[in-house]
Amino acid sequence: MIRKLYMKPAVREFLRILLAITISLTLGFIITLLVSEDPVGAYKAFLTGPVSRINRTGEWIKEAITLTLLGLSVALVFKAELFSMGAEGQMLLGALVSGTISLFVPLPAILRIPLALFAAMLVGFLFGALPGYLKAHLNANEIVSTLMLNAIALRVYDYFLIFHIKPEGAGYNASDFFPKEGVLPTFIPNVPFLAEAYELFSRRANITIMLYIAIAVVVLVWYLMYRTPFGYELRMLGANMKFARYGGINTKKTVILTFAISGAVAGLAGAHLGMGIHEKLIANITIGIAFEGIVVALLARNNPVAVPFAALAYGYLRAGADIMERSSDVSREMVLVIQAIIILLVTAERVLPIVQQRVNNMRENTKAEAIEEGGQNVI
Amino acid sequence: MSFDVVLRSIFSAAFLASVLRISTPLILPALGGLITDLSGAVNIALEGIMLTSAFTGVVVSAYSGSVFLGVLAGVASGVLISFVLGWFHLHLETNIILAGIAINILATGGTIFLLYVLTGDKGNSQSLASGRVPNINIPLIQDIPFLGRVISGQHIFVWLAFILTWLVSIYLYRTPWGTHLRAVGENPQAAETMGINVKRTRMIALLISGFLASFGGMTMSMAYLTIFQREMTAGRGFIALAAVYLGGRKPWGTLLAAILFGFADALSHQLGSLRIPSQLVQTIPYIVTILALVIYNLREQAVKRERRRKFQEQHMQSMASVE
Repeated sequence: MIRKLYMKPAVREFLRILLAITISLTLGFIITLLVSEDPVGAYKAFLTGPVSRINRTGEWIKEAITLTLLGLSVALVFKAELFSMGAEGQMLLGALVSGTISLFVPLPAILRIPLALFAAMLVGFLFGALPGYLKAHLNANEIVSTLMLNAIALRVYDYFLIFHIKPEGAGYNASDFFPKEGVLPTFIPNVPFLAEAYELFSRRANITIMLYIAIAVVVLVWYLMYRTPFGYELRMLGANMKFARYGGINTKKTVILTFAISGAVAGLAGAHLGMGIHEKLIANITIGIAFEGIVVALLARNNPVAVPFAALAYGYLRAGADIMERSSDVSREMVLVIQAIIILLVTAERVLPIVQQRVNNMRENTKAEAIEEGGQNVI
Repeated sequence: MSFDVVLRSIFSAAFLASVLRISTPLILPALGGLITDLSGAVNIALEGIMLTSAFTGVVVSAYSGSVFLGVLAGVASGVLISFVLGWFHLHLETNIILAGIAINILATGGTIFLLYVLTGDKGNSQSLASGRVPNINIPLIQDIPFLGRVISGQHIFVWLAFILTWLVSIYLYRTPWGTHLRAVGENPQAAETMGINVKRTRMIALLISGFLASFGGMTMSMAYLTIFQREMTAGRGFIALAAVYLGGRKPWGTLLAAILFGFADALSHQLGSLRIPSQLVQTIPYIVTILALVIYNLREQAVKRERRRKFQEQHMQSMASVE
């Protein structure tokens, strides 16, 4: 029974991820033991911090929303067995364009916000299509091209922020706060019978309507991947590029579209950074989160429905690390070490097979010994 | 400042000397990137390797009081990190890009974490009295009018960058190991059939690239600056990868490409005084790299087409001669 269950790939994947997280959290605790005066307190802050206060929970959920979008963006590309490191550039341009619209386009909120979000997705779509085109038509290494485009986007973002967007004569590199019409509203509508909840959430944990948008994007990406011809082509491409081509799939078009759609989702994540989290444009807005979509997609095994859960789990670690740093003597970078170990263990294809083989060998040995000793058949 | 003043300053010995200094932490990891690339693996972890070595070099030189020991430890840490990467990639069959990303995260987090533990500061290692590698003055070269002032008095890693480029080109094109390495990169199955151990060759390539990148990291923290700052490599490991492609996957080409990146960086500071935004100037090398990538691949396609055409022609001829 247990054996049968274990054989299911989904169960095995889940076990593997659980094992990876357990091992890395244990290692994290050992590190904390070595460096902290109060290791238990520090680790408690790390593990329970995000749910200890409503504003901290808010931070966690907002982080998870960004991570969900980024994870979806990467999962799309990974599913086609392609690689993209371009989320950073797409996010930066998404944040730049949506932020500019939020700041300067004189429209009421009901028009301004959708326009800003749409523009962020469009610019992400186009900026994503570029490495897709280079890959499809010229077979240019997509890792290098996306990294180059990131570097370009970063400088373009800085240029516009410093020379055009930041207030004249300001000593810091950031825009003004967005006007109310340019900030995403709280996820609970301001209606009388929800007044208390609205008050609580808008003041203390400003989770925005991006929550719903992110969920909608999850459903959309799932639908796109599993219920449309494009999704079929994408998965075929991932399964076997040559076979897909011989099967009559226009692989070039599929590659470009995959990159472009992935870029659009990352652009939306960029809009969330500006309009949902910081409520202004700041320098280095994507710092520390640029490659995190890759980790989320990995943990979710490129399954769009699993992405939000992976994002919640991963966002929890990140939020917990922040709280640990503020309330103890352990710096938040410890979580980076934990993250790295999780990635290595989750992606190491042979970790579980090797463990399994060892266990099997041990079993065989004990069986053999038992037979030698008693002559009875012990299974 | 007027245009001709800027122009004159660009062609001054001091400016060219600074280009060399800025380019060195790109040349060294780029050579590492070249070797792994030719062996058929993309080494995303150059960034993490540099960071680790930069940190280890500073810490060991500060605590031991010896620059030499610091450099030795820096190199050892870089090679060790590459070994971890290689072990996960080759033995545990982890995707090398993902393992590389993990190594980068580990290096970023680990160095800041240890810096905080050792100094109580998360920003830099100012409180540690770490060492600086020596400059080299060569009497004869020093006296050459213009060139002398460009290359004389540079620190040891600048010289090392050029020497290692030369050694790498000998290794790749004049030794059997280099031929094996390139064969593995071109066609691993064919190499395997010829009796070349693919895994071992790739591991050696990764270790060499760790060795080279570690000098790049220490250039940042023990020569260019003499402290370690958090995330001080600032994407140089990625630029180094770009230099490999811009340089047409050849050692001297890679060196020139890395110098071009350094030149653009130095230039952007100069042009800042002309009120040209440095951000826009700094995008130039990246745009050039993408163009180089395009041209490189167009040429590859043309070569392939040509080969196919020739093969068909020969085929037709042999058919004709049979008849």
